[in-house]
Amino acid sequence: MAEPKAPKLAGDKLAFLLSLVPYLMDQGRVTVAEAAAHFGVPQEQLREAVRLISVSGIPGETATYQHGDLFDIAWDDFEVRDEIVLTHNVAIDESPRFSGREAAALIAGLNYLAALPEHADTAAGSALMSKLARGASASPTQLAVEVSQTNATLALIRESVAAGVQLEFDYLNARGGRETRRVDPLRIDAVDADWYLRGWCHSREALRTFRLDHISNATVTTDAIVRRADDVLLSDRLFEASSDDLVVTIEVAPGALPLLAEYEPELVAPSLPAPSPTEPTEPTSRVRVIVRVSHFHGLKRLAASMNGTVTVLSPPQARQTVKDWADAALSRYTVL
Amino acid sequence: MAATVQKIPAEERLFSLVLALLATDGGLTKREILSTVQGYRQRYKAAGHNASLERQFERDKDDLRELGIPLETIDSPGDPGNNQNLRYLIPRGSYELPADIRFTPQETTLLGLAALVWREGSLSADARRALLKLRSLGITATEPLLGYAPRLSLRDAAFTPLNAALEKHVLVGFEYLKPGETAARARLVAPLALFQHQGRWHLFAEEPDSKLTKTFLLRRIVSAVTVTSTAFPAPPPGQGERAIAELDTVWNANLATVEVEAGSDAAARLGTRRGSTVTANGDLELHYADANILADELAGFGPEIAVISPSALRDAVIARLQRTAADHG
Repeated sequence: MAEPKAPKLAGDKLAFLLSLVPYLMDQGRVTVAEAAAHFGVPQEQLREAVRLISVSGIPGETATYQHGDLFDIAWDDFEVRDEIVLTHNVAIDESPRFSGREAAALIAGLNYLAALPEHADTAAGSALMSKLARGASASPTQLAVEVSQTNATLALIRESVAAGVQLEFDYLNARGGRETRRVDPLRIDAVDADWYLRGWCHSREALRTFRLDHISNATVTTDAIVRRADDVLLSDRLFEASSDDLVVTIEVAPGALPLLAEYEPELVAPSLPAPSPTEPTEPTSRVRVIVRVSHFHGLKRLAASMNGTVTVLSPPQARQTVKDWADAALSRYTVL
Repeated sequence: MAATVQKIPAEERLFSLVLALLATDGGLTKREILSTVQGYRQRYKAAGHNASLERQFERDKDDLRELGIPLETIDSPGDPGNNQNLRYLIPRGSYELPADIRFTPQETTLLGLAALVWREGSLSADARRALLKLRSLGITATEPLLGYAPRLSLRDAAFTPLNAALEKHVLVGFEYLKPGETAARARLVAPLALFQHQGRWHLFAEEPDSKLTKTFLLRRIVSAVTVTSTAFPAPPPGQGERAIAELDTVWNANLATVEVEAGSDAAARLGTRRGSTVTANGDLELHYADANILADELAGFGPEIAVISPSALRDAVIARLQRTAADHG
């Protein structure tokens, strides 16, 4: 079900043109560099848009796009000094409204972030949401997101990120052990309901990702951080790949594959025919993928929570780790 | 198609169309648009068929509506119902952002972060365009809100078509595997809201015949979603909030008691969850909306937990662990 690409792209370009014109009108005179930085686009893209605007307009009374029916710019300023001055405007006076979906996306995003310390003033937050709704051309689509739950640790981490100082805390690691860590806090990530701290770990001499709910007794120190966010490349991937990663082969029901996206699964076996939509429950056509993990402990939790849809195939130690995990759990009940 | 026709880029044609429709007071007929507006006029044949150009115009109208540009039509007073005499225009008042809606630098900063939340999913295009319009106002964010990278993962394939149907108010069809059942069933429902509850995306919908509302977990929609063309009246606002409140009622009524190993991952995750309480003898009491979903989750914690009650939940967790052990034996 691939969607046609060209119209979407043209739609984005149109939204850019309709947003750029009122901005240029307001600015009076602005350099290409400044305008490009403001919109976060490459300078050449901005110049192209200005060239297109300068030859656009309305058919006018003669229906032949006469000079007075077109936008105009100060050409010398544009070509010689890379500055933009609109000298004649047509049809557009103001910025466009948000679409219902656009307003809904921002409102739901604000809701999700309502737990942030920056968001403490909830009255201001709801005023902002109602402004967005009033600024939309249709009622926002009905999209609701729960406020993400956080705890007091978030405010402490935020404080240390903003101040650029090291943070010390007790951490419950994936193997179930507890240890004290000293970290240069670089960024706070959230994925759905889970919050993470990304930082340079002094104990491990490496970039690490910490679950906020595994952090306790956090203390903001007075020592400046050693590594800055600019020094290291923080990808969107929460857990950085490493050359010591273990390669595990697992079998997955195709419908469950998106749920493993964080593991970046790679298909290994040629995928069997897609399951018929009418019998999707116990798919015989499973796909085989490999994932790279630093240890098997996360995988055993994953396999046990997605039983019936995820099976670990190899290596044998990985399989055994899952089996042991399930057996140990069963031994807590008197049913064996 | 004549090969000599001058190629005008799509964005130039769309931009010219918006300008022409904003500038007109009384509206333009389709013929006027096709014969005079840049990008159409080059391909217009004064005598002859313009079928492909007319189809282009239909697609362009969809593109404008997709962007939230209000495109209206006026029936010709002397000749109502005649499509050829319909006049098109973009009313300035519905197009322009009202003058009293302006954002402070602090608000702009927050909105930038709110848009970033969607960078992974199908709403990223909407969020990106919303930011363009925000920047159009020329406000500079106070200080970039560095140090945050929040995101909603939106991995459910059903999200995009459902969101489109939500905007158009049309029925959708899909195969749904109800938690705890082994066979999927076909559903045809009116989508009322998409909402996220406890980290999972749900569809709140109404069955057209029974008028009963139902909540569906997106990850349990096991077929492609069919967006029909059967429209239904737009529901009043607040459906998402209503759905969350309804699910919260169920969630409040269901209580599980679980023995949790102190200091474990399970203790950290379950103990900090909304509504979790510790009983006098150290057990954890948890609220839940769906026993099968909770059973999957609890099975993942392995020996770190043991379910005490209710017994159906306990049995469900045991059955899952037995299956995992058998699959990996």
